[in-house]
Amino acid sequence: MLQEFSYLAPKSINELYAMLKKHVGKARILAGGTDILVELHNNWIAPAILVDIKKIKDLQGIIYSEADGLSIGASTVCIDLINDKNVQRHFPLLADAAHRIGSLQLRNRATIGGNLCTASPCADMGCSLLALDASVELGSSDGVRVIPLKDYFTGPKKTQIMPHEVLQRIIVPAEMAGAKFGMRKLKRIKGHDIALVSVAMARTSKVMRVGIGSCAPTPVVTGDLSSKATVAAVISAVEKVVSPIDDVRASRDYRLFMTREFVEKIYPELF
Amino acid sequence: MKIKLTVNGKKYQRDASETKNLLHFLREDLGLTGTKEGCGAGECGACTVIMNGKTVNSCLILAVEADGCEIQTIEGEAKDGKLTVLQQAFHKNHAVQCGFCTPGMIMSARVLLEATSKPTVEQIKEAIEGNFCRCTGYQQIIEAVQDASGQLKKKEGLKRA
Repeated sequence: MLQEFSYLAPKSINELYAMLKKHVGKARILAGGTDILVELHNNWIAPAILVDIKKIKDLQGIIYSEADGLSIGASTVCIDLINDKNVQRHFPLLADAAHRIGSLQLRNRATIGGNLCTASPCADMGCSLLALDASVELGSSDGVRVIPLKDYFTGPKKTQIMPHEVLQRIIVPAEMAGAKFGMRKLKRIKGHDIALVSVAMARTSKVMRVGIGSCAPTPVVTGDLSSKATVAAVISAVEKVVSPIDDVRASRDYRLFMTREFVEKIYPELF
Repeated sequence: MKIKLTVNGKKYQRDASETKNLLHFLREDLGLTGTKEGCGAGECGACTVIMNGKTVNSCLILAVEADGCEIQTIEGEAKDGKLTVLQQAFHKNHAVQCGFCTPGMIMSARVLLEATSKPTVEQIKEAIEGNFCRCTGYQQIIEAVQDASGQLKKKEGLKRA
């Protein structure tokens, strides 16, 4: 048995907003559960209420249009993102990134919204969505606000989401459709492991961006670089945004070295 | 909370504790103890079951989340004491040593074989990447899945009529 909590499963977004407002500070949102069940199992968190959002239609589905780009429902599971035809055709970097998450059992269950809400510095979707200049839609009974993902992460496992808000959808702008891309994730083993360093790059005819994971308190991204930036200029931009630490998994120097190495490896794939 | 679910083709209706995970519900409430608990945190895959056609870690799902779902466990494999081809292949190829990972391993292999009749070694590795085995070194398990899909030479593989 896990610790005591009550379980609620609202069927509509308005019902969810009302619950989050009523139980503000006491409720935790449950999506795929692949992080939160671990936290409950280890007694790292003690929510009075778990609010399961998987029955809410507004938070599901992947919608693509040429004009508006991609809109991913927060409770979309990794495997559905990987297999989505529009994602494969227009934003293959996202399918590639989602494929690197955990094991098959976890990809079958873990959600894209959950990956961003856990907001680990090594979040696999973080660096790829940052490279694609994504935004997140946060909703509550007060209304909906959209913020760029680069402003969303505020620290390790910390985000701009207020206690009464829910991450509803993730938006990837249309101008990034068809971007050339490349990603590398450094792990100790090929299977289920978290990143020691991850680098995702995207380049259109106008702009190039590099998203980096496990190299700062949050996933980070370079500014908009010229699509013709040299590899040296890209590495210099990357070095300005990363601040890796020594920890049990890797040293600061090794992380910096591998970050540069990955940029050099990916760079030619973007042309 | 009252939940209804189908496990290995049999319908169940139970009053499930909201704070119990699916793994403990299967073992304690339904008496299906074939599914094992290893880490309890989604790392080892010993608790793998098939939920609506997909492998999942049953330790990371609340029993109440499985309301309305169709679940398959290791108990759904052998019928009337006769092992399935997949189970026979595990037996024949020494893919079982201590046996603790085997129920979960068979579930992952089952889903793979249902989607892909002749999986490559890479596909087999990916299918079982979430299932830890600390005995075999995986090679025998990979061979068992190849054998179950008819990809081992006759004299090495299962003797089929």
